Amino acid sequence: MHSFINFIMGPMVWISFLIFFCGVIFKLFQVIKQVNEKENFIYTYLSVKHSFRSIFAWMIPFLPVSTRKSPVFYTVSYLFHLLLFIVPIFLLSHVALFEESMQWSWMTFNDTVADTLTLIVIFSLIFFMIRRVVVPEVKFLTRLSDFFFILIVALPFVTGFLAYHQFFAYKWMVITHVISGELMLILIPFTRFSHMFMAPLTRAYTGSEFGNVRHAKDW
Amino acid sequence: MKYKRFVWLAALIFILSVFNVYSQEILVVDNTIFNRPQRPAAVFDHDDHNEKAQLEEDCSICHHVYDENNVRIEDESSEDSLCSECHSLKKIPENSIPLRMAFHNRCKQCHFKSDKGPVLCGECHIRK
Ligand code: HEC
Ligand code: HEC
Ligand code: HEC
Ligand code: HEC
Ligand code: HEM
Repeated sequence: MHSFINFIMGPMVWISFLIFFCGVIFKLFQVIKQVNEKENFIYTYLSVKHSFRSIFAWMIPFLPVSTRKSPVFYTVSYLFHLLLFIVPIFLLSHVALFEESMQWSWMTFNDTVADTLTLIVIFSLIFFMIRRVVVPEVKFLTRLSDFFFILIVALPFVTGFLAYHQFFAYKWMVITHVISGELMLILIPFTRFSHMFMAPLTRAYTGSEFGNVRHAKDW
Repeated sequence: MKYKRFVWLAALIFILSVFNVYSQEILVVDNTIFNRPQRPAAVFDHDDHNEKAQLEEDCSICHHVYDENNVRIEDESSEDSLCSECHSLKKIPENSIPLRMAFHNRCKQCHFKSDKGPVLCGECHIRK
Protein backbone atom coordinates (compact mmCIF):
# COMPACT_ATOMS: atom_id res chain seq x y z
CA MET A 1 0.00 0.00 0.00
CA HIS A 2 2.75 2.44 0.94
CA SER A 3 4.62 1.91 -2.30
CA PHE A 4 1.41 2.48 -4.28
CA ILE A 5 0.72 5.73 -2.42
CA ASN A 6 4.34 6.72 -2.87
CA PHE A 7 4.02 6.10 -6.62
CA ILE A 8 0.83 8.11 -7.19
CA MET A 9 1.98 10.97 -4.96
CA GLY A 10 5.53 10.92 -6.32
CA PRO A 11 6.61 9.84 -9.83
CA MET A 12 3.05 9.81 -11.21
CA VAL A 13 2.65 13.52 -10.45
CA TRP A 14 5.68 14.36 -12.59
CA ILE A 15 4.60 11.95 -15.33
CA SER A 16 1.19 13.69 -15.45
CA PHE A 17 2.77 17.14 -15.69
CA LEU A 18 5.13 15.90 -18.40
CA ILE A 19 2.23 14.51 -20.46
CA PHE A 20 0.34 17.74 -19.85
CA PHE A 21 3.14 20.03 -21.08
CA CYS A 22 4.17 17.81 -24.01
CA GLY A 23 0.50 17.51 -24.99
CA VAL A 24 0.03 21.27 -24.93
CA ILE A 25 3.10 21.85 -27.10
CA PHE A 26 2.05 19.09 -29.51
CA LYS A 27 -1.44 20.58 -29.80
CA LEU A 28 -0.13 24.09 -30.47
CA PHE A 29 2.16 22.77 -33.21
CA GLN A 30 -0.73 20.87 -34.71
CA VAL A 31 -2.94 23.95 -34.84
CA ILE A 32 -0.19 26.11 -36.34
CA LYS A 33 0.45 23.43 -38.94
CA GLN A 34 -3.23 23.29 -39.84
CA VAL A 35 -3.39 27.06 -40.15
CA ASN A 36 -0.29 27.07 -42.38
CA GLU A 37 -1.81 24.48 -44.67
CA LYS A 38 -5.37 25.73 -44.93
CA GLU A 39 -5.62 29.35 -43.88
CA ASN A 40 -2.23 30.91 -44.21
CA PHE A 41 -3.87 34.09 -45.56
CA ILE A 42 -4.42 35.13 -41.94
CA TYR A 43 -0.72 36.02 -41.73
CA THR A 44 -1.39 38.90 -44.07
CA TYR A 45 -3.38 40.65 -41.38
CA LEU A 46 -2.45 38.90 -38.11
CA SER A 47 -1.32 41.68 -35.80
CA VAL A 48 0.24 41.53 -32.37
CA LYS A 49 -1.47 44.72 -31.32
CA HIS A 50 -4.97 43.60 -32.25
CA SER A 51 -4.37 40.11 -30.87
CA PHE A 52 -3.45 41.35 -27.42
CA ARG A 53 -6.13 44.02 -27.53
CA SER A 54 -8.72 41.30 -27.99
CA ILE A 55 -7.19 38.93 -25.41
CA PHE A 56 -7.13 41.63 -22.75
CA ALA A 57 -10.58 42.92 -23.61
CA TRP A 58 -11.99 39.46 -23.06
CA MET A 59 -10.17 39.14 -19.74
CA ILE A 60 -11.88 42.19 -18.28
CA PRO A 61 -15.12 41.04 -16.67
CA PHE A 62 -18.19 42.34 -18.49
CA LEU A 63 -16.38 44.39 -21.10
CA PRO A 64 -17.49 42.12 -24.00
CA VAL A 65 -21.10 42.82 -24.94
CA SER A 66 -22.14 39.18 -25.05
CA THR A 67 -21.01 38.69 -21.44
CA ARG A 68 -23.22 41.56 -20.35
CA LYS A 69 -26.24 39.84 -21.88
CA SER A 70 -26.04 36.92 -19.42
CA PRO A 71 -24.48 38.42 -16.29
CA VAL A 72 -25.25 35.53 -13.95
CA PHE A 73 -23.67 32.92 -16.18
CA TYR A 74 -20.55 34.99 -16.80
CA THR A 75 -20.12 35.93 -13.14
CA VAL A 76 -20.13 32.26 -12.20
CA SER A 77 -17.96 31.46 -15.20
CA TYR A 78 -15.26 34.05 -14.45
CA LEU A 79 -15.15 33.06 -10.80
CA PHE A 80 -15.00 29.37 -11.65
CA HIS A 81 -12.17 29.71 -14.16
CA LEU A 82 -10.16 31.83 -11.75
CA LEU A 83 -10.61 29.48 -8.79
CA LEU A 84 -9.98 26.39 -10.91
CA PHE A 85 -6.33 27.46 -11.10
CA ILE A 86 -5.88 29.53 -7.96
CA VAL A 87 -7.21 26.98 -5.46
CA PRO A 88 -4.95 23.99 -6.25
CA ILE A 89 -1.86 26.16 -6.88
CA PHE A 90 -2.07 27.96 -3.54
CA LEU A 91 -3.43 25.06 -1.48
CA LEU A 92 -1.46 24.40 1.69
CA SER A 93 -1.40 20.61 1.30
CA HIS A 94 -0.21 20.84 -2.33
CA VAL A 95 2.50 23.38 -1.53
CA ALA A 96 3.60 21.40 1.54
CA LEU A 97 4.03 18.25 -0.55
CA PHE A 98 5.86 20.17 -3.25
CA GLU A 99 8.17 21.72 -0.68
CA GLU A 100 9.04 18.34 0.78
CA SER A 101 10.21 17.01 -2.56
CA MET A 102 11.62 20.17 -4.19
CA GLN A 103 12.72 22.28 -1.17
CA TRP A 104 10.79 25.17 -2.66
CA SER A 105 7.53 26.75 -1.57
CA TRP A 106 5.31 29.78 -2.04
CA MET A 107 2.44 31.54 -0.32
CA THR A 108 -0.68 29.56 0.52
CA PHE A 109 -4.29 30.16 1.45
CA ASN A 110 -5.40 29.57 4.94
CA ASP A 111 -7.08 26.13 4.98
CA THR A 112 -10.49 27.55 5.91
CA VAL A 113 -10.35 30.04 3.03
CA ALA A 114 -9.34 27.31 0.57
CA ASP A 115 -12.15 25.14 1.88
CA THR A 116 -14.72 27.86 1.19
CA LEU A 117 -13.31 28.54 -2.29
CA THR A 118 -13.51 24.81 -3.00
CA LEU A 119 -17.21 24.88 -2.16
CA ILE A 120 -17.68 27.79 -4.57
CA VAL A 121 -16.05 25.72 -7.34
CA ILE A 122 -18.29 22.74 -6.56
CA PHE A 123 -21.42 24.89 -6.59
CA SER A 124 -20.39 26.54 -9.88
CA LEU A 125 -20.10 23.09 -11.44
CA ILE A 126 -23.54 22.16 -10.13
CA PHE A 127 -24.80 25.42 -11.63
CA PHE A 128 -23.30 24.56 -15.06
CA MET A 129 -24.81 21.11 -14.87
CA ILE A 130 -28.30 22.41 -14.01
CA ARG A 131 -28.04 25.04 -16.73
CA ARG A 132 -27.41 22.34 -19.31
CA VAL A 133 -30.60 20.58 -18.27
CA VAL A 134 -32.86 23.58 -17.73
CA VAL A 135 -32.02 26.29 -20.31
CA PRO A 136 -33.51 25.18 -23.67
CA GLU A 137 -30.88 26.80 -25.98
CA VAL A 138 -28.10 25.16 -24.00
CA LYS A 139 -29.90 21.86 -23.58
CA PHE A 140 -30.23 21.68 -27.36
CA LEU A 141 -26.44 21.80 -27.77
CA THR A 142 -25.65 19.51 -24.82
CA ARG A 143 -24.23 16.07 -25.37
CA LEU A 144 -23.64 13.35 -22.83
CA SER A 145 -19.91 14.03 -23.00
CA ASP A 146 -20.49 17.53 -21.58
CA PHE A 147 -21.62 15.98 -18.31
CA PHE A 148 -18.67 13.63 -18.40
CA PHE A 149 -16.27 16.58 -18.60
CA ILE A 150 -18.02 18.41 -15.77
CA LEU A 151 -17.66 15.25 -13.72
CA ILE A 152 -13.93 14.96 -14.47
CA VAL A 153 -13.38 18.52 -13.22
CA ALA A 154 -15.64 18.04 -10.22
CA LEU A 155 -14.00 14.85 -9.02
CA PRO A 156 -10.70 16.28 -7.68
CA PHE A 157 -12.54 19.12 -5.95
CA VAL A 158 -15.23 16.94 -4.37
CA THR A 159 -12.83 14.21 -3.22
CA GLY A 160 -10.33 16.84 -1.98
CA PHE A 161 -13.07 18.48 0.03
CA LEU A 162 -14.29 15.18 1.50
CA ALA A 163 -10.73 14.09 2.31
CA TYR A 164 -9.86 17.39 4.00
CA HIS A 165 -12.86 17.01 6.31
CA GLN A 166 -12.12 13.32 6.90
CA PHE A 167 -15.83 12.55 6.66
CA PHE A 168 -15.47 8.89 5.64
CA ALA A 169 -13.13 6.40 3.92
CA TYR A 170 -10.30 8.89 4.31
CA LYS A 171 -7.50 6.89 2.76
CA TRP A 172 -9.54 5.94 -0.32
CA MET A 173 -10.74 9.50 -0.68
CA VAL A 174 -7.17 10.78 -0.90
CA ILE A 175 -6.20 8.04 -3.35
CA THR A 176 -9.23 8.81 -5.57
CA HIS A 177 -8.41 12.49 -5.26
CA VAL A 178 -4.84 12.16 -6.39
CA ILE A 179 -5.69 9.86 -9.31
CA SER A 180 -8.60 12.03 -10.49
CA GLY A 181 -6.38 15.14 -10.32
CA GLU A 182 -3.75 13.45 -12.44
CA LEU A 183 -6.38 12.16 -14.86
CA MET A 184 -7.65 15.69 -15.37
CA LEU A 185 -4.14 17.00 -16.04
CA ILE A 186 -3.49 14.27 -18.59
CA LEU A 187 -6.83 14.81 -20.35
CA ILE A 188 -6.52 18.60 -20.70
CA PRO A 189 -4.41 18.75 -23.91
CA PHE A 190 -6.31 16.02 -25.74
CA THR A 191 -9.94 16.92 -25.04
CA ARG A 192 -12.27 19.87 -25.07
CA PHE A 193 -10.42 21.20 -22.01
CA SER A 194 -7.78 22.40 -24.46
CA HIS A 195 -9.89 25.55 -24.91
CA MET A 196 -7.95 26.79 -21.88
CA PHE A 197 -4.82 27.35 -23.98
CA MET A 198 -6.55 27.59 -27.38
CA ALA A 199 -8.68 30.53 -26.27
CA PRO A 200 -5.87 33.12 -26.68
CA LEU A 201 -5.25 31.85 -30.26
CA THR A 202 -8.93 32.16 -31.09
CA ARG A 203 -8.88 35.71 -29.75
CA ALA A 204 -5.76 36.55 -31.76
CA TYR A 205 -7.46 35.20 -34.87
CA THR A 206 -10.77 37.00 -34.46
CA GLY A 207 -9.16 40.05 -32.86
CA SER A 208 -6.88 40.54 -35.86
CA GLU A 209 -9.62 39.98 -38.35
CA PHE A 210 -11.99 42.42 -36.68
CA GLY A 211 -9.34 44.99 -35.77
CA ASN A 212 -7.08 44.89 -38.79
CA VAL A 213 -9.51 44.05 -41.59
CA ARG A 214 -12.98 45.13 -40.57
CA HIS A 215 -11.72 47.89 -38.26
CA ALA A 216 -14.21 46.88 -35.63
CA LYS A 217 -14.14 45.60 -32.08
CA ASP A 218 -14.68 41.92 -31.44
CA TRP A 219 -15.96 42.35 -27.92
CA MET B 1 -30.72 6.86 52.65
CA LYS B 2 -31.61 8.29 49.27
CA TYR B 3 -29.07 11.04 49.82
CA LYS B 4 -26.26 8.51 50.42
CA ARG B 5 -27.06 6.62 47.28
CA PHE B 6 -26.90 9.85 45.31
CA VAL B 7 -23.41 10.59 46.68
CA TRP B 8 -22.20 7.14 45.69
CA LEU B 9 -23.64 7.51 42.24
CA ALA B 10 -22.05 10.92 41.82
CA ALA B 11 -18.69 9.58 43.00
CA LEU B 12 -18.96 6.67 40.59
CA ILE B 13 -19.73 8.97 37.66
CA PHE B 14 -16.83 11.18 38.64
CA ILE B 15 -14.36 8.29 38.80
CA LEU B 16 -15.59 6.83 35.52
CA SER B 17 -15.33 10.15 33.72
CA VAL B 18 -11.79 10.77 35.00
CA PHE B 19 -10.83 7.28 33.92
CA ASN B 20 -12.50 7.88 30.59
CA VAL B 21 -10.59 11.13 29.97
CA TYR B 22 -7.30 9.39 30.62
CA SER B 23 -8.05 6.33 28.58
CA GLN B 24 -9.15 8.49 25.64
CA GLU B 25 -6.24 10.86 25.83
CA ILE B 26 -4.33 10.97 22.57
CA LEU B 27 -0.77 12.13 22.83
CA VAL B 28 0.23 14.61 20.18
CA VAL B 29 3.24 16.60 19.00
CA ASP B 30 2.80 20.10 20.38
CA ASN B 31 1.91 22.50 17.54
CA THR B 32 1.61 25.76 19.49
CA ILE B 33 4.99 26.90 18.18
CA PHE B 34 3.37 27.35 14.74
CA ASN B 35 1.52 30.61 14.58
CA ARG B 36 -2.16 29.84 14.10
CA PRO B 37 -1.85 26.09 13.41
CA GLN B 38 -3.88 25.01 10.38
CA ARG B 39 -4.35 21.37 11.31
CA PRO B 40 -5.12 19.38 14.46
CA ALA B 41 -1.87 18.47 16.26
CA ALA B 42 -0.33 15.23 14.94
CA VAL B 43 -0.93 12.06 16.97
CA PHE B 44 2.29 10.69 18.40
CA ASP B 45 2.48 8.64 21.57
CA HIS B 46 6.23 9.06 22.07
CA ASP B 47 7.16 6.07 24.23
CA ASP B 48 4.56 3.71 22.81
CA HIS B 49 5.57 4.63 19.26
CA ASN B 50 9.26 4.09 19.84
CA GLU B 51 8.66 0.81 21.59
CA LYS B 52 6.50 -0.54 18.74
CA ALA B 53 8.86 0.76 16.07
CA GLN B 54 11.90 -0.46 18.03
CA LEU B 55 13.61 2.92 18.12
CA GLU B 56 14.49 2.97 21.78
CA GLU B 57 18.15 2.11 21.32
CA ASP B 58 19.03 5.17 19.30
CA CYS B 59 17.33 8.39 20.31
CA SER B 60 19.47 10.33 17.80
CA ILE B 61 17.46 8.96 14.86
CA CYS B 62 15.12 11.83 15.72
CA HIS B 63 16.99 13.88 18.31
CA HIS B 64 20.10 14.45 16.24
CA VAL B 65 23.13 16.72 16.61
CA TYR B 66 25.19 18.30 13.83
CA ASP B 67 28.67 19.84 13.89
CA GLU B 68 29.59 23.26 12.43
CA ASN B 69 29.99 21.74 8.96
CA ASN B 70 26.48 20.32 9.01
CA VAL B 71 27.74 16.78 9.40
CA ARG B 72 25.71 14.61 11.75
CA ILE B 73 27.54 13.51 14.89
CA GLU B 74 26.73 9.81 15.21
CA ASP B 75 26.90 9.20 18.92
CA GLU B 76 25.36 12.37 20.32
CA SER B 77 21.70 13.16 20.82
CA SER B 78 19.59 16.22 21.59
CA GLU B 79 16.51 14.90 23.40
CA ASP B 80 16.71 17.81 25.83
CA SER B 81 15.91 20.21 22.98
CA LEU B 82 12.78 20.81 20.97
CA CYS B 83 13.07 20.50 17.20
CA SER B 84 12.08 24.16 16.98
CA GLU B 85 15.21 25.24 18.85
CA CYS B 86 17.24 24.51 15.73
CA HIS B 87 14.59 24.40 12.98
CA SER B 88 13.01 27.81 12.54
CA LEU B 89 9.54 28.23 11.05
CA LYS B 90 10.90 29.78 7.86
CA LYS B 91 13.96 28.91 5.83
CA ILE B 92 16.87 31.15 6.89
CA PRO B 93 20.62 30.99 6.12
CA GLU B 94 21.32 29.23 9.44
CA ASN B 95 18.60 26.66 8.88
CA SER B 96 17.85 25.14 5.51
CA ILE B 97 15.06 22.87 6.78
CA PRO B 98 12.01 24.74 8.07
CA LEU B 99 10.18 23.20 11.03
CA ARG B 100 7.11 21.78 9.29
CA MET B 101 9.30 20.10 6.69
CA ALA B 102 11.67 18.78 9.37
CA PHE B 103 8.75 17.01 11.07
CA HIS B 104 7.20 15.75 7.84
CA ASN B 105 10.41 14.44 6.32
CA ARG B 106 11.51 12.76 9.53
CA CYS B 107 8.20 11.00 10.13
CA LYS B 108 7.05 10.22 6.59
CA GLN B 109 10.35 9.11 5.09
CA CYS B 110 10.73 6.39 7.71
CA HIS B 111 7.08 5.29 7.38
CA PHE B 112 7.45 4.97 3.62
CA LYS B 113 10.69 3.09 3.98
CA SER B 114 9.45 0.67 6.63
CA ASP B 115 6.06 0.27 4.89
CA LYS B 116 4.37 0.96 8.24
CA GLY B 117 2.90 3.97 9.99
CA PRO B 118 0.85 6.89 8.64
CA VAL B 119 1.80 8.82 5.45
CA LEU B 120 -1.36 10.81 4.57
CA CYS B 121 -2.20 14.17 6.16
CA GLY B 122 -5.35 12.98 7.91
CA GLU B 123 -3.73 9.88 9.34
CA CYS B 124 -1.56 12.09 11.56
CA HIS B 125 -3.63 15.28 11.76
CA ILE B 126 -6.76 13.45 12.88
CA ARG B 127 -9.98 15.46 13.25
CA LYS B 128 -12.15 14.37 16.13
C1 HEC C 1 10.56 8.77 16.08
C2 HEC C 1 11.32 9.90 16.50
C3 HEC C 1 11.78 9.97 17.95
C4 HEC C 1 12.59 9.07 18.61
C5 HEC C 1 13.25 7.81 18.08
C6 HEC C 1 12.75 9.62 19.95
N1 HEC C 1 12.04 10.78 20.08
FE1 HEC C 1 11.93 11.94 21.72
N2 HEC C 1 10.68 13.25 20.74
C7 HEC C 1 10.32 13.12 19.42
C8 HEC C 1 9.50 14.26 19.06
C9 HEC C 1 8.90 14.52 17.69
C10 HEC C 1 9.40 15.07 20.21
C11 HEC C 1 8.68 16.42 20.33
C12 HEC C 1 9.71 17.47 20.00
C13 HEC C 1 9.13 18.84 19.83
O1 HEC C 1 7.98 19.07 20.21
O2 HEC C 1 9.87 19.72 19.30
C14 HEC C 1 10.16 14.40 21.26
C15 HEC C 1 10.32 14.88 22.55
C16 HEC C 1 11.13 14.29 23.51
C17 HEC C 1 11.36 14.81 24.82
C18 HEC C 1 10.79 16.13 25.34
C19 HEC C 1 11.67 17.24 24.87
C20 HEC C 1 11.36 18.56 25.54
O3 HEC C 1 12.28 19.37 25.65
O4 HEC C 1 10.19 18.77 25.89
C21 HEC C 1 12.20 13.95 25.47
C22 HEC C 1 12.72 14.08 26.87
C23 HEC C 1 12.50 12.88 24.55
N3 HEC C 1 11.81 13.11 23.37
C24 HEC C 1 13.32 11.82 24.84
C25 HEC C 1 13.65 10.80 23.97
C26 HEC C 1 14.53 9.70 24.28
C27 HEC C 1 15.27 9.50 25.64
C28 HEC C 1 14.58 8.92 23.18
C29 HEC C 1 15.35 7.61 22.99
C30 HEC C 1 14.98 6.54 23.88
C31 HEC C 1 13.72 9.52 22.17
N4 HEC C 1 13.18 10.65 22.70
C32 HEC C 1 13.51 9.00 20.92
C33 HEC C 1 10.64 12.11 18.56
C34 HEC C 1 11.43 11.03 18.87
C1 HEC D 1 20.64 20.82 17.97
C2 HEC D 1 19.96 21.33 16.83
C3 HEC D 1 18.90 20.44 16.17
C4 HEC D 1 17.83 19.84 16.79
C5 HEC D 1 17.40 19.90 18.24
C6 HEC D 1 17.11 19.16 15.73
N1 HEC D 1 17.76 19.32 14.52
FE1 HEC D 1 17.19 18.54 12.72
N2 HEC D 1 18.84 19.31 11.86
C7 HEC D 1 19.77 20.13 12.47
C8 HEC D 1 20.80 20.52 11.51
C9 HEC D 1 21.98 21.43 11.78
C10 HEC D 1 20.47 19.86 10.30
C11 HEC D 1 21.21 19.91 8.99
C12 HEC D 1 20.68 21.05 8.17
C13 HEC D 1 21.36 21.13 6.83
O1 HEC D 1 21.83 20.11 6.34
O2 HEC D 1 21.35 22.23 6.30
C14 HEC D 1 19.24 19.12 10.54
C15 HEC D 1 18.59 18.36 9.59
C16 HEC D 1 17.36 17.77 9.76
C17 HEC D 1 16.65 17.03 8.74
C18 HEC D 1 17.13 16.74 7.32
C19 HEC D 1 18.24 15.72 7.32
C20 HEC D 1 17.76 14.37 7.72
O3 HEC D 1 18.27 13.86 8.73
O4 HEC D 1 16.87 13.82 7.08
C21 HEC D 1 15.47 16.63 9.30
C22 HEC D 1 14.36 15.85 8.62
C23 HEC D 1 15.45 17.10 10.68
N3 HEC D 1 16.60 17.79 10.92
C24 HEC D 1 14.41 16.88 11.58
C25 HEC D 1 14.48 17.18 12.94
C26 HEC D 1 13.44 16.82 13.92
C27 HEC D 1 12.14 16.12 13.61
C28 HEC D 1 13.89 17.25 15.15
C29 HEC D 1 13.21 17.08 16.51
C30 HEC D 1 12.88 15.71 16.89
C31 HEC D 1 15.18 17.89 14.94
N4 HEC D 1 15.51 17.82 13.60
C32 HEC D 1 15.95 18.46 15.94
C33 HEC D 1 19.76 20.53 13.78
C34 HEC D 1 18.86 20.11 14.75
C1 HEC E 1 12.81 5.48 12.15
C2 HEC E 1 11.49 5.19 11.74
C3 HEC E 1 10.29 6.04 12.21
C4 HEC E 1 10.26 7.39 12.43
C5 HEC E 1 11.39 8.40 12.30
C6 HEC E 1 8.90 7.70 12.80
N1 HEC E 1 8.12 6.58 12.80
FE1 HEC E 1 6.13 6.45 13.23
N2 HEC E 1 6.18 4.48 12.94
C7 HEC E 1 7.29 3.73 12.58
C8 HEC E 1 6.93 2.33 12.50
C9 HEC E 1 7.87 1.18 12.13
C10 HEC E 1 5.56 2.26 12.83
C11 HEC E 1 4.69 1.00 12.90
C12 HEC E 1 4.73 0.48 14.30
C13 HEC E 1 3.91 -0.77 14.42
O1 HEC E 1 2.71 -0.63 14.69
O2 HEC E 1 4.47 -1.83 14.19
C14 HEC E 1 5.12 3.62 13.10
C15 HEC E 1 3.81 3.95 13.46
C16 HEC E 1 3.37 5.24 13.69
C17 HEC E 1 2.01 5.59 14.06
C18 HEC E 1 0.87 4.61 14.28
C19 HEC E 1 1.02 4.12 15.68
C20 HEC E 1 0.01 3.09 16.06
O3 HEC E 1 -0.07 2.84 17.25
O4 HEC E 1 -0.61 2.53 15.17
C21 HEC E 1 1.98 6.95 14.21
C22 HEC E 1 0.77 7.80 14.58
C23 HEC E 1 3.31 7.44 13.94
N3 HEC E 1 4.13 6.39 13.61
C24 HEC E 1 3.66 8.77 14.01
C25 HEC E 1 4.96 9.24 13.81
C26 HEC E 1 5.34 10.63 13.89
C27 HEC E 1 4.40 11.77 14.19
C28 HEC E 1 6.68 10.68 13.62
C29 HEC E 1 7.57 11.92 13.56
C30 HEC E 1 7.66 12.72 14.72
C31 HEC E 1 7.14 9.31 13.40
N4 HEC E 1 6.06 8.47 13.51
C32 HEC E 1 8.44 8.97 13.08
C33 HEC E 1 8.54 4.20 12.32
C34 HEC E 1 8.94 5.53 12.44
C1 HEC F 1 3.57 11.09 9.81
C2 HEC F 1 2.70 12.07 10.35
C3 HEC F 1 2.33 13.30 9.51
C4 HEC F 1 1.76 13.32 8.24
C5 HEC F 1 1.44 12.14 7.34
C6 HEC F 1 1.52 14.70 7.93
N1 HEC F 1 1.92 15.50 8.98
FE1 HEC F 1 1.74 17.50 9.10
N2 HEC F 1 2.77 17.51 10.85
C7 HEC F 1 3.19 16.38 11.54
C8 HEC F 1 3.86 16.77 12.78
C9 HEC F 1 4.46 15.83 13.79
C10 HEC F 1 3.83 18.19 12.80
C11 HEC F 1 4.38 19.12 13.91
C12 HEC F 1 3.37 19.80 14.81
C13 HEC F 1 1.99 19.23 14.87
O1 HEC F 1 1.15 19.61 14.02
O2 HEC F 1 1.71 18.39 15.75
C14 HEC F 1 3.14 18.61 11.59
C15 HEC F 1 2.88 19.93 11.24
C16 HEC F 1 2.11 20.34 10.17
C17 HEC F 1 1.75 21.70 9.88
C18 HEC F 1 2.19 22.93 10.68
C19 HEC F 1 1.31 23.11 11.88
C20 HEC F 1 -0.07 23.59 11.51
O3 HEC F 1 -1.03 22.89 11.88
O4 HEC F 1 -0.21 24.64 10.86
C21 HEC F 1 0.95 21.69 8.78
C22 HEC F 1 0.29 22.86 8.10
C23 HEC F 1 0.83 20.31 8.35
N3 HEC F 1 1.55 19.52 9.21
C24 HEC F 1 0.10 19.89 7.26
C25 HEC F 1 0.14 18.60 6.76
C26 HEC F 1 -0.42 18.21 5.48
C27 HEC F 1 -1.14 19.14 4.54
C28 HEC F 1 -0.16 16.91 5.32
C29 HEC F 1 -0.47 16.04 4.11
C30 HEC F 1 0.07 16.48 2.86
C31 HEC F 1 0.53 16.45 6.52
N4 HEC F 1 0.69 17.51 7.36
C32 HEC F 1 0.93 15.14 6.75
C33 HEC F 1 3.00 15.09 11.15
C34 HEC F 1 2.45 14.67 9.96
C1 HEM G 1 -5.08 19.36 -10.67
C2 HEM G 1 -5.89 18.63 -10.01
C3 HEM G 1 -6.13 18.85 -8.54
C4 HEM G 1 -7.07 19.67 -7.97
C5 HEM G 1 -8.05 20.57 -8.69
C6 HEM G 1 -6.96 19.53 -6.54
C7 HEM G 1 -7.75 20.20 -5.62
C8 HEM G 1 -7.78 19.95 -4.25
C9 HEM G 1 -8.77 20.45 -3.34
C10 HEM G 1 -9.91 21.36 -3.75
C11 HEM G 1 -8.49 19.97 -2.09
C12 HEM G 1 -9.28 20.20 -0.79
C13 HEM G 1 -9.22 21.60 -0.31
C14 HEM G 1 -10.12 21.80 0.88
O1 HEM G 1 -11.33 21.58 0.79
O2 HEM G 1 -9.58 22.20 1.91
C15 HEM G 1 -7.30 19.15 -2.21
C16 HEM G 1 -6.67 18.49 -1.17
C17 HEM G 1 -5.56 17.69 -1.31
N1 HEM G 1 -4.90 17.39 -2.51
FE1 HEM G 1 -5.40 18.02 -4.34
N2 HEM G 1 -5.96 18.63 -6.24
C18 HEM G 1 -5.42 18.19 -7.43
C19 HEM G 1 -4.40 17.29 -7.60
C20 HEM G 1 -3.70 16.68 -6.55
C21 HEM G 1 -2.58 15.77 -6.72
C22 HEM G 1 -2.00 15.32 -8.05
C23 HEM G 1 -2.18 15.41 -5.45
C24 HEM G 1 -1.08 14.48 -5.03
C25 HEM G 1 0.16 14.70 -5.19
C26 HEM G 1 -3.04 16.08 -4.50
C27 HEM G 1 -2.96 15.98 -3.11
C28 HEM G 1 -3.85 16.52 -2.20
C29 HEM G 1 -3.83 16.27 -0.77
C30 HEM G 1 -2.83 15.38 -0.03
C31 HEM G 1 -4.90 17.01 -0.22
C32 HEM G 1 -5.26 17.13 1.27
C33 HEM G 1 -6.15 16.05 1.78
C34 HEM G 1 -6.30 16.25 3.28
O3 HEM G 1 -6.34 17.38 3.76
O4 HEM G 1 -6.36 15.24 3.97
N3 HEM G 1 -3.96 16.85 -5.20
N4 HEM G 1 -6.89 19.16 -3.53
